[in-house]
Amino acid sequence: MAKVYRSMWKRREVRAVDGISLKVPRGTTFGLLGPNGAGKTTFVKMLLSAVHPTRGSALIFGRDARHPEARRPIGYLPENHRFPTYFTGAGMLDFYASLSGVESPQRRKLIPELLELVGLEQWGSVRIGKYSKGMLQRLGLAQALIHSPSMLILDEPTDGVDPVGRRQIRDVLTRFEEQGVTIFINSHLLVEVELFCREVAILDKGKVALSGKMHDLTAGKGYRLTVAEAPEVLVEQLRATATSMASRNGFVDFQFATRQSANEAVDLLRAEHCEIESLAPTTSTLEEIFVRTVAK
Amino acid sequence: MKNSMTASIALIRDTFREAFARKIFWGLFGLSTLMILFFLFLLRIDLVEGGLAAVKMFGQTMSPATDVDRLVRGVYGGIATFLYTWGMFLAVFASAGLIPSVLEPGRIELLLSKPVSRTHILLGRYVGNVLVVSCNIIYLVLGVWIILGLKTGIWSPMFLISIATTIFAFAVLLSVVILIGVLFESAALATMVVAALMIMSLVLAQISVMLRLLSSEWSRQIWRTLYYTLPKMYDLGKMTLDAIRSRTFDGFMPIWTSALFAVVVLGCSLVIFARRDF
Repeated sequence: MAKVYRSMWKRREVRAVDGISLKVPRGTTFGLLGPNGAGKTTFVKMLLSAVHPTRGSALIFGRDARHPEARRPIGYLPENHRFPTYFTGAGMLDFYASLSGVESPQRRKLIPELLELVGLEQWGSVRIGKYSKGMLQRLGLAQALIHSPSMLILDEPTDGVDPVGRRQIRDVLTRFEEQGVTIFINSHLLVEVELFCREVAILDKGKVALSGKMHDLTAGKGYRLTVAEAPEVLVEQLRATATSMASRNGFVDFQFATRQSANEAVDLLRAEHCEIESLAPTTSTLEEIFVRTVAK
Repeated sequence: MKNSMTASIALIRDTFREAFARKIFWGLFGLSTLMILFFLFLLRIDLVEGGLAAVKMFGQTMSPATDVDRLVRGVYGGIATFLYTWGMFLAVFASAGLIPSVLEPGRIELLLSKPVSRTHILLGRYVGNVLVVSCNIIYLVLGVWIILGLKTGIWSPMFLISIATTIFAFAVLLSVVILIGVLFESAALATMVVAALMIMSLVLAQISVMLRLLSSEWSRQIWRTLYYTLPKMYDLGKMTLDAIRSRTFDGFMPIWTSALFAVVVLGCSLVIFARRDF
């Protein structure tokens, strides 16, 4: 998909999205990352037909995204949402549920349940003009869930939410993930995405700069062995097989490229009765991957 | 079909809720109530021998004795004129903000993410807005009609025609508000354009005089084109007055040309709204 904005006289072009092709498997949790202006929100809006693509199309569960019915299985929480302040929490849920075709008896049953799920059961009859940012975000999430969607598209879902609230939102999403709901998160919070998403794509300048399974992207590129104390001779011997070595606070860290070389080092150390502090595969954090990808 | 109906009702209810919250509904309702109270308490009509009446306002005799039927039709005509001028302007002024508000960033994206077509969203807002104003027009016209009927014993059903014609005229003007709202998201500009159209309709309605006065054929053609293309608020008001006063009027052209104008303008709004990025 591509989206090119042109100025009125078509002299200037802005390629907000420049040929993104993504496939999100059913039932997965997918994180869309990227620096400001990378095209994340435009891409999400194209999925929802709020923005018309200049080129390309999207399918949602096999249906053309431009068709209103394709949006029926989607629950959406926009970034910087502005819910009308004349609504009460329950009234707002009732309105958006009605638009999603939820019948009145079902709405009456679901609204208190969802308010409780997001921790707003005491606030249902209060006008949302009095809600804090975090409460609005949780209400927005309830709104996205009201019609039991098969797919959630969440744009910065934990924006403005305190750590306890974030945990609560993550727990709610985990619950829906376990029920097989596809969750598509657009976020700046890399830690959140790393904790929650199984797959990830990093956008940069309107293109997919990197994509793949979270496990594969952050997977070990070797093993780190930390030793408490070791004779100088042994340290020098291990340095020869290690890819790198560093000393800190009385510990020595060795980096090994393969499992075999790490195991051989353990055998040598144990034969000399040296204390091993830890042995773990080396992983990259999502932040490291993100910075590396975007800085290229 | 059922889903569509549920969504339509939700969109209309939302317009009412916003009209209540913005005090639009209550403002128009208050104004209508004031007029009804005026006719209820301040305008005293004393019947003399069943056919003549003395009209007292604030306790002062305004007209010593007049034909009751003429008096009632005069009052009806006054109200219809008020509805077509100030009432219409107030209704448009009050409603103009209801379109841009729904297009606000952060609100429209959420609406568009629902399984409802853009046409449905805009028409839902349009119908809701017409219904908000209709409630007030019905309340005012019926209220005055009942009070005057009870005071004079004259129940002229022709006055009730002004309910339909006023709602129709508002629906025509609202289509312009919708177009300006979709194009520029400006309530102030929408109000200005509607006010200009109302003034122009008064000027353009002098077509028979102007066609005689204008010297060149092309200027006469421009006048004709503008007259037949733009909504005919003045002519609609005049038709209503003629109906109230049991006079004949020259055909239904002002109705169908104004309806055609509304359909075209609303159609353009729907196309523009469907193509816009939000």
